[in-house]
Amino acid sequence: MPQFDTHFFSSLLFWEWVSFGILLFLLYKYAFPGILNALDERERKIRESIEAAERSRAEAERRLAEYEARMQSAQQEAAELVAQAKVRVQHMMEENERRMAAEAERIKANAAREIEQERRKALEEVRRYTSELGLRIAEKVLERTLTDADHKRLADEALIAVAKDFEKS
Amino acid sequence: MESNPLHPFELHPYGEFHLFGLDITPNKAVIMMWIVIALASWLLYTAGRERRLVPTRLQSVAEMLVEFIRGMILDMMGEKGMRFFPFVATLFVFILFCNLLGLIPGAYTVTSQIVVTASFAIFVYTMSVVVGFALHGIRFFGILVPPGTPLWLLPLMIPIEIVSQLARPFALAVRLFANMTAGHTILAVLFGMVLSLPVFIGWLPFAFTIAISGLEVLIAFIQAYIFTILTCVYLGDAITLHGHSEGAH
Repeated sequence: MPQFDTHFFSSLLFWEWVSFGILLFLLYKYAFPGILNALDERERKIRESIEAAERSRAEAERRLAEYEARMQSAQQEAAELVAQAKVRVQHMMEENERRMAAEAERIKANAAREIEQERRKALEEVRRYTSELGLRIAEKVLERTLTDADHKRLADEALIAVAKDFEKS
Repeated sequence: MESNPLHPFELHPYGEFHLFGLDITPNKAVIMMWIVIALASWLLYTAGRERRLVPTRLQSVAEMLVEFIRGMILDMMGEKGMRFFPFVATLFVFILFCNLLGLIPGAYTVTSQIVVTASFAIFVYTMSVVVGFALHGIRFFGILVPPGTPLWLLPLMIPIEIVSQLARPFALAVRLFANMTAGHTILAVLFGMVLSLPVFIGWLPFAFTIAISGLEVLIAFIQAYIFTILTCVYLGDAITLHGHSEGAH
């Protein structure tokens, strides 16, 4: 086999190690640092991106929970307000009704009192008028004027009647 | 000359160069190594320069490669093993590019040279032993005793483990060399048949070469992966000292 020809051994060995040494130097100095850096850099970036994404997600979830809680409390508050408003409206309506009923009662009573007064006044008037009328009629009927003798007689009769009544009692 | 299927593995010196008495004359394999380091460093440099958050295609491939090797190291050696990342990654890239570029017709597969794979294997194994002794001192001999071994089995287990340890660099070297050599030899044999047979039957081995070439691309990846993962396993054993004895791969 040509590979066992020792004639080329020294040259092959020499150049093999020189070549290997040069390649090692060149790669160590110029190639590997760049490639390894790029790999590390990418690893770092990817890890950072994932961590940032994780953080954002947690933040978003936290905010969502916060908003939900806030919304729930707002809804609760709104419901409370509505309930309060209903109660107040109810109270107001009841109050109104009561006041209106009282007013109506008062008006009715007033009216009744006034009617009663008017009635009494009217009756009074009618009475006065009738007595006047009676007096006038009586005056007309007793056209002739009473004389002193008549006065005397009448007074005597009255005295006798009183005395009679006194004696009886 | 074409009839010899081992012809593609032959090397010819380009000129005559010596350094301190050492013959370092370039040949086709050496030229391929230069192309490999030029191409690999250029591609990975370009990929590493991008540094985009959304990667380009080249950047994606380079990052996949780096992640893949980092995964192997973390699996086999743990966090402490990342010190060896530049070495392990360079080893993988070098072997992978040698394997893949060798598939281009007319190119040369550097990893089909036993001396290349053997020197990597011996270096890796020696490094694992040195790391083991540096981290654990004399206790590193404990790697010869798999956990849970009964005491009376020790006289049997220790020699077996020594052999297993010594087989490691050998297996590592031969596995890569043999796989690369075999694939190319099969391709050479099939092409020889295509050329020597008449067309009405010659299309058959030609069709095979297409399938085998596809398989060779896969093998180029797999062998680079196996060499690297075993490097990680040996270094991992040295670091963790658990003495997992892995079977033959």
